[in-house]
Amino acid sequence: MSPTASGVIPYRPTQARGDDTAWLGMVIFLGSWAMMFAALFFAYGVLRLRQPSWPPPGTLALPVLLPALNTIVLALNAVALQGALLAARRGELPWMRLGLVLGLILGAAFVGGQLLLWTRLFREGLAFEDGSLAAVVYGLTGFHALHVVVGLVGLLTLLPPALAGTLNAARHNRLRLWVMYWHFVGVVWLAMFLLIFLL
Amino acid sequence: MTAQEAALSRQAIEALQPIHPPPASFFRKYIWSTDHKVIAKQYLWAGLLFLLVGGTLAMMIRWQWAFPGRPVPILGPTVLKSSGGVIGPALYMQIFTMHGLIMIFFAITPILIGAFGNFTIPLLIGARDMAFPWLNALSFWVFALSQLLVIGAFFGDLGAAGAGWTTYPPLATNIGTPGTGQTLMVAAVFVTGVASIMGGINYVTTTIRLRAPGMTYMRMPLTVWGQFLTAILNVLFVPVLGSAALLLLMDRLMGTQFFIAGAAAVKGGGDPILFQHLFWIFGHPEVYILILPAWGIIADLLAFFSRKPANWYRGTVLAMSAVTILSAVVYGHHMFQTGMNPLLGQGFTTLTLIISIPAEVLFLNWLRTIYKGSVRLTVPMLFALGMVFVFGFGGLTGLYLGAAAPDIYLHDTMFVVGHFHFTMAAASFLASFAAIYFWYPKMFGRLTNTRLGQAHFWISVVGITLVFGGQLLVGYAGQNRRLWNPFEYDLFKPLQPLNRWTSYAGFALFAGQLLFIWNFFRSMVKGEKAPANPWQLGTLEWSVASPPPHHNYDAIPIVQRGPHELSDPVLKAKLGRDWVGQAEEVPLGAPGAAQVTARGAP
Repeated sequence: MSPTASGVIPYRPTQARGDDTAWLGMVIFLGSWAMMFAALFFAYGVLRLRQPSWPPPGTLALPVLLPALNTIVLALNAVALQGALLAARRGELPWMRLGLVLGLILGAAFVGGQLLLWTRLFREGLAFEDGSLAAVVYGLTGFHALHVVVGLVGLLTLLPPALAGTLNAARHNRLRLWVMYWHFVGVVWLAMFLLIFLL
Repeated sequence: MTAQEAALSRQAIEALQPIHPPPASFFRKYIWSTDHKVIAKQYLWAGLLFLLVGGTLAMMIRWQWAFPGRPVPILGPTVLKSSGGVIGPALYMQIFTMHGLIMIFFAITPILIGAFGNFTIPLLIGARDMAFPWLNALSFWVFALSQLLVIGAFFGDLGAAGAGWTTYPPLATNIGTPGTGQTLMVAAVFVTGVASIMGGINYVTTTIRLRAPGMTYMRMPLTVWGQFLTAILNVLFVPVLGSAALLLLMDRLMGTQFFIAGAAAVKGGGDPILFQHLFWIFGHPEVYILILPAWGIIADLLAFFSRKPANWYRGTVLAMSAVTILSAVVYGHHMFQTGMNPLLGQGFTTLTLIISIPAEVLFLNWLRTIYKGSVRLTVPMLFALGMVFVFGFGGLTGLYLGAAAPDIYLHDTMFVVGHFHFTMAAASFLASFAAIYFWYPKMFGRLTNTRLGQAHFWISVVGITLVFGGQLLVGYAGQNRRLWNPFEYDLFKPLQPLNRWTSYAGFALFAGQLLFIWNFFRSMVKGEKAPANPWQLGTLEWSVASPPPHHNYDAIPIVQRGPHELSDPVLKAKLGRDWVGQAEEVPLGAPGAAQVTARGAP
């Protein structure tokens, strides 16, 4: 099919149209999941406002340094993955592979950092049962970390096609969608860091 | 759109949906099928099965209210052996909890949205399948997993879930209802939510991306509009329920204290009211999730069987969209009694009552559609009319509950139960049956028995009115909901005869459903073979064989007109019939005729 003389219907390759459909599905999914996290933040807000002071009397103050480092790790991960996507669009496959692997490593490092954070909090005596602060910290960050793990699995599934070269300038929609997912997870973490650990 | 542009547009959309050969293996044909029509049937079977379970539980509740303390017949000696056939208070709580959860999440949702959303959206917009067929199959199997969790909950230690369908903490925490039954039910709700979101993503994307050329938004059948708006609500608000279920699961399994307060919480504790916020932020959109598909289907059926276009199509679409938006901002009316600031209560009252304006538009459009139509009282039409009646009646009772002042008197009475059964249960139930009778020929390729259908209709609509009307009456008299034995209280003793008569109506209603079961299965084997267009209608699904081929359309149709172009005088003169296919090309020579057919054209 070629563009018509009338030019009313813009020419779009079939694959691009299919990609757009998948992109729309991803946008709707992320919008949906944003509501999930919005509800969790709402829960946090309600719990916090019900307390006379925050952190509630008797619970320790949350550390800032370790989550801040984790934020930086996740930000670097976003840069690496965005770089991989840009490289894929330009057809620079070695750079794309590098970005992917870096993204994987940094993502895994984030999960490691979170594990470290939870262990430290736990050792310092913050049990699950210790009121709303413990609930929010373990519950919300734990649920978020699960999403990071899902993202890691997603990146792992991208590795074989990336190495085989089937993930290339012409076909890289899967990478684009997973990068969108990772950015979403990153933004949610940034909100968690700002609202739970800094505020 | 010129013919050439339409042809190009068709070429482009056909390239996007290539025809795949139908699957050959049993597994790919019936188990992991990606065909939206098969998935629709899977949802239908799953939903009908659980409708039967939920209905049986309802009969046990009615038995308890008619004859408290007496052994239940049939079920008593078989299922309830351990308690001597008697329903005790704890078991009673489990029965009404499971009844509510099963009916809402595992019966109505899969039938109206899972089955008919899946079946109608691709067919009615002229697509070959959903946008993401694989995700569609996954959605059903995730749903099936959630049903498995429900079945598991029945066998939990300490019995099934017993904290009410709303699952309010602290009753729903380990303190109020320990035991795996409750945990499994909360998990089931979470999992079914995931399935709903998957379905919702598919429905929204499909409706936006895969409409056939010429199928503008304002030419979509109202059924598709209903499903589309429902899917939007599902995608946006089911995650909020998911968050509530998730936090409750954490409280139950990890020991966190999101919802635990008071003596049980030593260090700060959480807030039980928080759960109510999360639940109703979802819960109010949910009632529209359950009724919007029904509205869409009914609006279509009324036009189809009055043989005239739906009255003010755009108004109906606007009204349904307005309700969709408003449904997100009224949830506080479920919480008037939680110590809410009266000013806030007034705000929620106002917003809630504003919903009656678009609802009125919708309702008057339905009535004006029938007005002066050539009404054909087919079985689907009977159910559609029945739905209009019960929904109108139930909607009026909503005015009492939406306003804070009368709600404070009626809160937690059987009046509330009667209200939401009329609107959410009875209306959705009748619309489900309307849809089943209407699309049965297309789904299964056979016609159903009309006599049995008519009898089923009359028993259903009369039964529903009596059962839920009885609930409204005892509720208005003050009888509280969820009482194990209301007649232990002197002030409710005079209500026992009314309760008992209501129960008799309930048993009749249940027995009447056997006619449907018989009709449903008998027609599948012995029913007359259905022609492609048994109802003589123009929407796209009737232009293909019954049942449609695996890929629905050999060539994707180019849509020419709106969905209800019935009894158009010019076309009638030209074609000799009162209906015209949405994609049918009718060469019109006469001057002025073009204006008639241009209705709904951009």
